[in-house]
Amino acid sequence: MKPEIWRRIRQAVQILAILLFLYFFIQTNSLSVQKTWSVLFYRLDPLVALTAMLAGRVFIPGLALAVLTLAVTLIFGRVWCGWFCPMGTMLEWLAPKRLRKLLTARRQPPPESWRLIKYFLLVIMVFAALLGNQSLLFFDPITIMTRTMSSAVWPGLRYALTQSEAFLYNFMFLWGVLDTLHNAVISPLFQEVEAVFILAMPIFLFFVAIVAFNWWAERFWCRYLCPLGGLLGLVSRLAFIRREVDEECNDCGLCSPTCPTGTIDPQNGYRSDPAECTVCYDCIIACKRQGVNFQWQIPAWKPAEGQEYDLSRRQALEALGVAVVGVALAGVEPITVRQPTTLIRPPGAWLTDFEALCIRCGECVRVCPTQGLQASLFEGGWANIFTPMLVPRLGYCSYNCNACSQVCPSVAIPPMALEKKQATPIGLARVDRDRCLPWTYQIACIICEEVCPVADKAVKLEEIKIVNTLGEAVVLQRPSVVKDLCIGCGICEYKCPMGGEAAIRVFAPTDVSSQGGLLQ
Amino acid sequence: MNNRSVKLTRREFLKLLAAASAGVTLASCGGGKTPISDQSQPVTAETQPEFPKATQQTNEKIPTQGSQPTQSEALQPTQQSSMEQAYLSVVRGNDPVAITMAAMAAIGGIERFVKNGAEVIIKPNICTDYHTYEYAATTNPQVVATLVRLCFGAGAKRVRVMDQPFGGIAKSAYALSGIADAVSAAGGQMEVMNQNKYVKVPIPNGRDLTEGLFYQDILDADVVINVPIAKTHGLARLTLGGKNLLGVIANPGRMHANLGQRIADLISLVKPTLTVVDAVRILMDNGPTGGNLADVRQTNTVIASHDIVAADAYATTLFGLTGKDISYVQAAADMGLGTLDLNSIKIEEISV
Repeated sequence: MKPEIWRRIRQAVQILAILLFLYFFIQTNSLSVQKTWSVLFYRLDPLVALTAMLAGRVFIPGLALAVLTLAVTLIFGRVWCGWFCPMGTMLEWLAPKRLRKLLTARRQPPPESWRLIKYFLLVIMVFAALLGNQSLLFFDPITIMTRTMSSAVWPGLRYALTQSEAFLYNFMFLWGVLDTLHNAVISPLFQEVEAVFILAMPIFLFFVAIVAFNWWAERFWCRYLCPLGGLLGLVSRLAFIRREVDEECNDCGLCSPTCPTGTIDPQNGYRSDPAECTVCYDCIIACKRQGVNFQWQIPAWKPAEGQEYDLSRRQALEALGVAVVGVALAGVEPITVRQPTTLIRPPGAWLTDFEALCIRCGECVRVCPTQGLQASLFEGGWANIFTPMLVPRLGYCSYNCNACSQVCPSVAIPPMALEKKQATPIGLARVDRDRCLPWTYQIACIICEEVCPVADKAVKLEEIKIVNTLGEAVVLQRPSVVKDLCIGCGICEYKCPMGGEAAIRVFAPTDVSSQGGLLQ
Repeated sequence: MNNRSVKLTRREFLKLLAAASAGVTLASCGGGKTPISDQSQPVTAETQPEFPKATQQTNEKIPTQGSQPTQSEALQPTQQSSMEQAYLSVVRGNDPVAITMAAMAAIGGIERFVKNGAEVIIKPNICTDYHTYEYAATTNPQVVATLVRLCFGAGAKRVRVMDQPFGGIAKSAYALSGIADAVSAAGGQMEVMNQNKYVKVPIPNGRDLTEGLFYQDILDADVVINVPIAKTHGLARLTLGGKNLLGVIANPGRMHANLGQRIADLISLVKPTLTVVDAVRILMDNGPTGGNLADVRQTNTVIASHDIVAADAYATTLFGLTGKDISYVQAAADMGLGTLDLNSIKIEEISV
């Protein structure tokens, strides 16, 4: 088959894959989680499978599908990167294609030795996982895509669309059309939630930085940084099908500038490293003499030759050392002995080795119906950047929902039946009597008690007859939290009408029961 | 009565018998299967053009409540003239559909409120998506569906049902309460309230609130039927018709600081056409969210009136209270929006 057709097929697969990724992202909301499909890309991601199972010391059946990716890579090479990876596709599309030739002529690409960074990072991540740590999983490309989508791109799009919609609603004669549009498009896409995210800007900038590097070298991330690319690259060294140059080649040099990962080496007979080749077919299309093609390695199969930028034994040991040092330092963080006051984890997180299992992907953030789950920055310490936390003032844990526990790819949030979730505290609320309207200002309220969802309300009211500051005899009701009934869902904090910080707030859970010790 | 003046032909007698049978069937027939629209036309004098003598005789005694029924009246138990309709009806019975229909019939029928081509909005209480309707936290779906059917029977153009839950997701709440399914089966539409459709409206008669953000569609509707479920409430003591109107504004959390007067102010603007209090099950404790079946009492009652204050005042008696005990009922009565004096109005109490 002509190489142009292969490239077309590849591009079609890229489009389908990224549409699939977007479809699962959009379609996965709290009312429609289907674990089988919603996190398909994580289930196929061998880096996540490896590190999550190592760090959690547990076999995670849902992630076993990643073996399929490894098998495909073993046969075809880094096709994940060139055909399937949504990050790779975005980087290919968000690249200065037409200027490629101009750029390579003018600017020096980064040194080849930089390709070892991704292997270095990979070794650190895998060894840290062996030691029970997944702090660096936020470098996995699928987690980057999900986080960027859930915390930045999707809510940003929502804001733009709903603001435009709100403007148009000023014109009453348009309401018929607008209502139809709202019910057909806006509501299903965005679920009627005003989603706001604390880390939207930094998460977006992180993604933009990766894309910006494309202006220095095409697929910069894939070449030098991506740890998943590193893992698949190592496997590709053993691939059954690799790019080969044969005797038709006359050193014309047309192929090397076309390579998106710049792995075609003019100094080495225009051969390439299968660990870098993303099977894009551009070089084959450029070659006028059919001097380049993909060839079966069997029966004369042997591993591809090593490269100068491969990790030397010393560098590998350095990477191990960095992992050890990093994990040791992570152990020095206060969170290992003390709960941070306002860190509220998703329901059930206290029942698992949460920080070890969490892959920092942001699926739970995506699916939370009130968008109360947020990516944390330092709330959980430096070792837990981008792990999720509940910010009740922005969104409460909805009583009738357990979507996060259904969607978590690495079971860091364990799947929980609704009844169990409704009985598992994630925090403990407390009335700040110095801010509360009835306690301090003698103004009636009790909204916290009203909205408390548990059958035996965790906020109780005491009635008191007072003479208020205006000299009127009034009966006031003042709220207090009953510790053993509060599950820390935070709807009280969310609905509290005080300006700024709420007068009733949820803090880290406290366990002084006879079984105390489940929580630190 | 001498036979000469009330002489009936066989034809007329058979027509009377048919009418009486239809009327009895109307009153006793409950169940979801029979389309209400076939039965909702009450038998009135206008549908009986052949019945001559009794209405044409001007010296015929006009029947009043409590007087001995005449021979003609006994055969037409559901004939309603405007003088017979009650100010407020209280119907008790095991079938929510039947008691809702009877409650409406007793206050003049749905036709009194819903005209042909009317745009109707029904505002039940769907406060959270936590529990099914047995927990008495949300309005009984059969009560709502019966009202939907009655409205269509009277020729309503469109019947929409909506509320703004304060806990959970609207779509999920609509489904879990059972109201979405019941309303769809009755031909009505559930609508998720759209944040864009709250508009700032002045409250000219407001004593505390001078303006508010109201849902435009509810203000525009021809008929607004307020269908609360009777529950306890921490601040308000009871949440009934008046409190149910908090679902009509964008910022209900701002009402609590002066709840009684502010709800009365809301009533003065919204003026729901009709209030039907669902007391099939009532929530005796831990309201308004509920969650404990032990807090639910099955009182199998529906209360209906055009007067929201009277309806609420009657509903308080189910909890052993009076209208004066509820701040917003008293405040609304003080503003002249209705009466809480149950002795001054015609109340029809029926058992079905």
